Amino acid sequence: MPDLMRHPLTVAALASVLAALVGAGCVLAAGVSPGAAGSALWDGMFGTDYAIGISLNQAALLILVGGGFVVAERTGLINIGGEGQICIGALAATAVGVNAGGLPAAVAVPLVLVAGFAGGAVWAFPAAWLKVRRGTSEVITTLLLNFVGLGLVSLAVHENALLRQPVTSAETLPQSEPLAAGAHLPLLGLVTSPATIAIVLALVAAIGLGILLRGTATGLKLTAVGLSAPAAARLGLPVTRLEMASLACAGGFAGLAGAALVATAPFVLSDGFSSGYGFQGLVVGLLGRGSMLGVVAAALLFGFLNSGGINLQLVAQVPAATVQIVQSLLVISIAGAMLWTREANS
Amino acid sequence: MSPAALEITSIGKTFGGVTALDAVTLRVQAGTVHCVLGENGAGKTTLCDLVYGNYRPDTGSMTLYGEPYAPARPAEALAAGVAMVHQHFSLVPTMTVAENLMLGDGLRLRLPRRRLEARLAAIAESYDLRVEPDTVVADLPVGIRQQVEIIKCLVRDPRLLLLDEPTGVLAPAEIDALLTTCRRIAAAGKAVVLVTHKLGEVAAAGDAATVLRNGRVAGGGPLSKLPTRELVSLMVARSPATLDPLLAASLGLAPADLETTVPSIRLSPQDRRKKAALRLSGVTVVRGDGTTALDGVSLTVAPGEIVGIAGVEGNGQSELAAVLGGALPVAAGTIEVGGADLTQAPPRRRTEAGLGVIPEDRLLDGCLPGMTVADNLCLGRLSEFRRFGLLNRRAMDRAATAVLTDYAVRAAGPRAPLRSLSGGNQQRVVLARELALDPLVCLLAAQPTRGLDIGAVDAIVGRLRAAAAHGAGILVISSELSELLALSARVYVCYRGRLLGPVDSDSPTARDDLGRLMSGTDS
Repeated sequence: MPDLMRHPLTVAALASVLAALVGAGCVLAAGVSPGAAGSALWDGMFGTDYAIGISLNQAALLILVGGGFVVAERTGLINIGGEGQICIGALAATAVGVNAGGLPAAVAVPLVLVAGFAGGAVWAFPAAWLKVRRGTSEVITTLLLNFVGLGLVSLAVHENALLRQPVTSAETLPQSEPLAAGAHLPLLGLVTSPATIAIVLALVAAIGLGILLRGTATGLKLTAVGLSAPAAARLGLPVTRLEMASLACAGGFAGLAGAALVATAPFVLSDGFSSGYGFQGLVVGLLGRGSMLGVVAAALLFGFLNSGGINLQLVAQVPAATVQIVQSLLVISIAGAMLWTREANS
Repeated sequence: MSPAALEITSIGKTFGGVTALDAVTLRVQAGTVHCVLGENGAGKTTLCDLVYGNYRPDTGSMTLYGEPYAPARPAEALAAGVAMVHQHFSLVPTMTVAENLMLGDGLRLRLPRRRLEARLAAIAESYDLRVEPDTVVADLPVGIRQQVEIIKCLVRDPRLLLLDEPTGVLAPAEIDALLTTCRRIAAAGKAVVLVTHKLGEVAAAGDAATVLRNGRVAGGGPLSKLPTRELVSLMVARSPATLDPLLAASLGLAPADLETTVPSIRLSPQDRRKKAALRLSGVTVVRGDGTTALDGVSLTVAPGEIVGIAGVEGNGQSELAAVLGGALPVAAGTIEVGGADLTQAPPRRRTEAGLGVIPEDRLLDGCLPGMTVADNLCLGRLSEFRRFGLLNRRAMDRAATAVLTDYAVRAAGPRAPLRSLSGGNQQRVVLARELALDPLVCLLAAQPTRGLDIGAVDAIVGRLRAAAAHGAGILVISSELSELLALSARVYVCYRGRLLGPVDSDSPTARDDLGRLMSGTDS
């Protein structure tokens, strides 16, 4: 049955097997027994409550960024700007969070998250506006806005007048003050796990977006715009508004990820805090192939592999780059499979 | 007896669940023009694609000049001596004729220009086809481009030439020239397969014919034993006497052969002035490069009236359709529908005002081929299909199924992708969507029957007439003069962005008058 062979799950399974085999090869090349490396990877992923918590927190960020990516992709827009949107979302969230002293968590946490969403959406807006008014490729504009966003975070945490914590000695790091206690994302309360409600938030967002895209009139309209903007315009759909809204939504969810990132330990904004989640979220969105279930699955895989990779390096002395190679192979083989299935269907 | 040039034996092909061809058997003799007739969706193009190696058949076999023939891709078909002229041109417009002709020749360091010229001289000699090799294709008129397509095939000296609906875009004189060329190619001993739905062409050029209907062979044989009336009944499975005169026109039959007459609606001048379904005053449209596409076009369509617009392509009809649909901005002038000023209105407001639009290019902005039939029908009025904030897919399916039945659309169901439908069936879906407007004040139909088979033309024309009878004003833009004359009371001509005429379609000299206006020899 060719349909079974082309089923996304089959493709994902085959890609995983291929990536695992190459990963094992890399481990052998590093002179470590695959058994030792495997158990180190496993411990880093599922070995402790701590490992699981860290993995889940990372997966939550990737679900948010990847889910937003899928919404923009529905209208045919490719959001490369997750990194910058995370930055601006986090900036806004930090600005609110450090000034939220005394507020109860029930007020401060939503405020921080809303600020993050708004920040990310605002950062996607110039790209969306240029796209619908001037036809400027959003791939270029969102990509370039990443560097501006990263630069703005750097500026904010280095300038005393902005978000830098009060300088008390020469060792004071260029980072923000910690967010007020009320603005910290509550832990899920799983004994010693650092997992926060971010994963719950992300899953709720994924379900919501899934319903929006598959079950509502808005989702159908977004799809129509993505398939043919001229036809959608002829049918009376507000094409420019839908395009702008979908890209702003992608930015908003990336900004939300930024807010979740600074509202999790160590609760500060600093240079390089975004650690590539924007780009990894983009990959998660691509691997999801337009489905929220796919996004969640890819995000969990990447989240767990990330923390497993760190342990691999710490315990088994295998370079963490091995895990990056495995991740890249997954991307390449799944993207290749996409092309293959598209060719077969046409 | 020598083996047939092409012999197809009980070939079958299905796409998804839809059977495109079922046990089709066909023999083409060398030195003849063999016509494949049938409505759109009958399987003509699929048959060509199988012979040319675009698809592989599910069942059956083919032989070419007695040898087994099973091309896996077009390159193999070319190597076996099979060439094809496609429905849509496959020339690179920015390159010269010579460059286009040499494109298919694979990688060579030096282009074999001298050999090409010798070949062109030979082709000019035997087929009387002459082209200027150094002209850029974009500068050539459509008829000449078609000749270049044919020469591109002949350069390879094929044994079998397939032409898929080659006359769709040609003017009458160009069609005659093409058919003469087909005869010459056959006279040179090659086999020609001419795929068409126009009986006039078959009678003019064919030696034998095979009629396809619903993917099966409905009949066929030498044309000497198949009178035109017989072919019509094979194609549409009914007697030609029941055909609308307009259909007869689209088949290339003389209207005198038929008994029915056109029921035309006549309005007194007072009626016309009272309330216009559509009123254009001095509409001017400027293209992106600053040239004027439409120059002060004024036109009134009364309720219940069908007005036609003719013209050679590129004289502003496309822009007229686009500006009415809201895809192009108006530089000057006003557009009114049922008294409401829509000059600057976005498409949504035009729809609300009761302006239905069947766009010229169905695949560009007429419909969404990638979405389902139900999505396409309901997309403009999704608010009617909401339940608890979600889409009520079942209600959409029900509404779409009703339309599929009502308009006799051949589709696997409401959730079938529109792409899986034939062109005629897609057009029925577009028409159904636009006619569903309530109230329908005015309908613009741009090239509503282009590339459609007679069954679909029949359905669409009947619907247009019914809409007019219910009081909608209808503006039809078409390049088929016969259809315009049969359908509308007045016909205008678009010539270099201006509207000339109108010509009263009852006038005995209407056709000649329009011809003069179209060619600009009458001012």
